Amino acid sequence: MADSVTDKVKKVVSRQLKVEESLINPDSDFVKDLGADSLKSVELVAAFEEEFDIEMDEEAALNVRTVGKAIEHIEKSMKEQGKSGADPQ
Amino acid sequence: MDLITGFKKKAQANPRVIVYPEGENGTILSAASSILKEGIAKPVLVGKKAEIEKAAGEKAVDISAVTLIEPEKSEKLEKYARLYCEDKDNISLPIAKRLVKKPLFFASMMVSCGDADGMVGGIAHATANVLQVCGLAIGYEQGISAPSSFFIMLVPDDTGYREIIFADCAVNINPSAEQLAGIAIASGENARNLLGVEPRIAMLSFSTKGSASHELIDKVTLATAIAKEKAPHLKIDGELQADAALVPKVAAKKVKDSDVAGRANVLVFPDLNSGNIAYKLVQYLAGSKALGPILQGFQKPVNDLSRGASVEDVVGVTAITVVSAQGRKTTQ
Repeated sequence: MADSVTDKVKKVVSRQLKVEESLINPDSDFVKDLGADSLKSVELVAAFEEEFDIEMDEEAALNVRTVGKAIEHIEKSMKEQGKSGADPQ
Repeated sequence: MDLITGFKKKAQANPRVIVYPEGENGTILSAASSILKEGIAKPVLVGKKAEIEKAAGEKAVDISAVTLIEPEKSEKLEKYARLYCEDKDNISLPIAKRLVKKPLFFASMMVSCGDADGMVGGIAHATANVLQVCGLAIGYEQGISAPSSFFIMLVPDDTGYREIIFADCAVNINPSAEQLAGIAIASGENARNLLGVEPRIAMLSFSTKGSASHELIDKVTLATAIAKEKAPHLKIDGELQADAALVPKVAAKKVKDSDVAGRANVLVFPDLNSGNIAYKLVQYLAGSKALGPILQGFQKPVNDLSRGASVEDVVGVTAITVVSAQGRKTTQ
C-alpha cells in the first residue's frame, strides 16, 4: 500500500534533517525540535517538491514552522497542482 | 565626485559579469539595459525568456544585447546540480536539480562556479531567502561563520564629508564573539577594497579598555582577540567607546599605544540594537548619507536589493558589486 502524505513527510524530514522518524510528530517544530536551520530549510523544501512532484512557493514554504503545517501546505499544493495524495511512487 | 559616481567609473574601467536572478522584474530590466549601455557591468538576466522578453516589450526597454538564461533549458543545470550534491549524502541529484533550477539558486551557482563574477538580487525575494541561498550555493569566506552587512556612512565635515564604515547594522541580531570577529575582519577588508583606505577597526562598547566590566563587554574583548588572531595584518582595537574610537583628544586620554583609537574608520557594533540605532541616528541627526546595507562574508560578491529599489539603486549596487569583484581573484 502507498504511504500516506504524513508518512512520506516524516521520511523526508528524517532523511534531510537526520532525525529518527519516531521523534517526528505533527507538533514538531522544524527549528526548535528537529534542528533545522535556515539553510537546511531551503533544501528541505526542495526535497518535498521532489517527493511529491509539486512546485512550492518558497517564501510561503519557508514560513511553515511545524511538521503538521508542512503536511497541510503540501496537501494544498498537491490539490492545486492536480496531484493525488494516494499515488504510489 | 560623489562616491557612487566613483564606483561607476571604477566599474567601467574593468566591467565584470553580474547576474540578476529576477530577470522578469521591470526595474531590473531597465537597470540592466542602462548598465550595459554605460559599460558598468556585463549583465546576465536569469528567468523565463518569454516572460523577460514580454516584460521588456511592455516597458519598451531594449535588452537585445543582454544575455538571458533560462535555468530549466540551460545546459549548465545538470553540471550545477551535480556539483551541488557531490559531497552531500542527503541531497540526491533530483533534489539538487529542484534546487538549482530556481532562478535565485541558479544565479548563485553561476557565481559559485565562476560563470558570473557577482550577483545582485532580492528585489522580489526576502533578504533572509537571499542569504540562505547564497549560504548554500556560494558559501562563506574562510574564517567566517555567518553573513553580515555594512553601511558606508558619508558623514559631513569641514572638507565636505568623510567615509566611515558601520557594521553590522542590518543582519545579525546578536552575534557571538566569533561572529563579531568575522564581521570586523570582513568589514576591514571591504574598507580597503571599496574605499581604498587603510582600515582602522574599532570594536565598540560602552567601556574603553576595561573602564567598566560586564559580560556584554567580555563579548567585545573576546571578539577583538579572535579578530586580531585571525587577521594579524589588520589594525583592530577594542573594546572602545565611540568617542575613544573617533576623537584623537579623547583617545589620547583613555588609550595607550593604539593605531586605531582616535582614528577609527570602521566601527563594529556589538549587536543589532546598537548598530541599527547608531546608523539611523547618524543618518538623521548628523545629516549623513547611508549607503547600504552591503552584504559581506560570502566567498563571492553578492548584494541584496530592497523590494522598493529604484533603477538608480540597482545601477549603484551593481557598480559596488563590480568593484568588489575587481578586488578579488577571478575563479575563471
